[in-house]
Amino acid sequence: MVCRLMRRGSLLRASLGLCVLAIGVGPAAAQSPTPGGMPPPPGMSLAQSAAMRFPQPVRVGDLLGRQVLQPVESQNVLGRVRQVVREPDGRLMVIVAFGGLFGWGARPIAVPVDAMVLLGQDMEIVAFTPDELRRFPTFAAAGTHVVPDDTIIRVGLAKPSH
Amino acid sequence: MRSPFRPYTLPDASVLAAHKSLIRSLERRGLIRGGLSLGALVMLTGCDVERPESVESALLAISRFNDRVQAWLFDPNRLAPTYPESMILRPPKFNAYYDVTEVKPVDGTSWRLDVAGLVAEKRAWTLPDLQALPQRSMVIQHICVEGWSYIGGWTGVPLRTFLERCGADLRAKYVSFKTADDYPSSIDMATALHPQTLLALKYGDETLADPFGYPVRLRMATKLGYKNPKWITAIEVTNTYPGGFWESKGFPWFAGL
Repeated sequence: MVCRLMRRGSLLRASLGLCVLAIGVGPAAAQSPTPGGMPPPPGMSLAQSAAMRFPQPVRVGDLLGRQVLQPVESQNVLGRVRQVVREPDGRLMVIVAFGGLFGWGARPIAVPVDAMVLLGQDMEIVAFTPDELRRFPTFAAAGTHVVPDDTIIRVGLAKPSH
Repeated sequence: MRSPFRPYTLPDASVLAAHKSLIRSLERRGLIRGGLSLGALVMLTGCDVERPESVESALLAISRFNDRVQAWLFDPNRLAPTYPESMILRPPKFNAYYDVTEVKPVDGTSWRLDVAGLVAEKRAWTLPDLQALPQRSMVIQHICVEGWSYIGGWTGVPLRTFLERCGADLRAKYVSFKTADDYPSSIDMATALHPQTLLALKYGDETLADPFGYPVRLRMATKLGYKNPKWITAIEVTNTYPGGFWESKGFPWFAGL
C-alpha cells in the first residue's frame, strides 16, 4: 500500500513537473540569446561596469520600497530597498533589507549603487551573489548621510534575466 | 482495518458477468491515452526540442489564423486605456534581445529616416523634420509577452500624420520598419493609422534616452511590447508580408492587446 502511494506520489510530481515545463519554456524561448544582469567582467571596477549599463536618472524616493531581485531566471527576491545613503568617502549605497521570510527577520545591508541596476519597477544586485551578500555586515548608520527623497541619482540598467 | 468507504451491502458479483461487453467498451484508459497525446502536442508548442516539421507548420497555421481573427476584431477607433502622468515609471524598463551593455547609441545629428515603398515622397527625414510635425502624448501600458508591464509616457508624431505627410498609400497592407540594432518589424495598416500609434521622440517629456531607442522608436498602445522597434532607421509601406525578428522565430505577427 505504502509502495503504491509512493509510486502515485512520484507520478504526480512528474506530471506536475511536465506542466511547469510546458508553461515555462514558452516565454523562455522568447528571450534573448544574451542573458541580462551579468556580473561585471573580472578585473573591472564597479564604477566602470556601472558606466557600461547606461546609468539613468532616477529619484531616490522612487527607489524606496522596491523589490531587489537576483539576476537569475527565477528572479528570487533578495529583499527591499529601505534607504539610500552616502558614505563618508562619498560612495552612494543602497540599504537593502536583506533576507528573512516575506520581510520578517530581514537585516539591513549596504550595497554600492554601482553593484545594482534598475529593472523596471524593481532593482537587481548584479555584482554580488546571495552567498556574498549573506556575508555583508549589518548596516550601521553612523557616519553616513541619508540621501533625501528628491535627489536624482544615476543607476545602470539591465534586461530581464529570463 | 475495514475501509470506511466499503458499502455494507455488496452487489452480486454476477452483475459483472452479465454486463461484460458493456464494461469492455467503456475504454476509460483509451480516453486517458487520447488526452495524454493531446497534452503532448500542447507541450510541443513551447518546446525548443527537435520536432516534426508537420507539427510546426500546423501550429504556425493556427497562429496565422489567430492573426486574421485579431485583425478582424481590431477596432481602428477604439482607444486602449490611458493613465495619469503621475503613474509614469521613470526611467522606463529596458528590454531587447541583448543586454544593455551591447546597446549602440545612434548619433541624432547624422541620423536619417528613410521612407520607401508605396509612398509619393521617398526622402530621408532628419530629426528636426520630425520634431516640426504635430506631436501627441499618451500615457499607456507597455505589456511584454514575458508577463511584465509598466506604465510609460510617450510623446511623438502620430504614425498616421507621418504617413499622410509622406503621401503613403493608406490602403496598403503593411508598414515595415528597419532599425539600427537589426530588429526588423512590421505592423498592419489599421494599427499604423490608429490614434495611439506614435513615432515616439520623447519619454516623460524628456528626449528619449539611448537605451530606449533615441532618436525615434515606435510606441503602440494596442500591441505587445516586442512589436515596438527602437532606433528606427527606415519605414516602408508595402503589400508584401515583411515579417519581423521574433515573428520569424514563431511569434505571433499581429500580437494585439
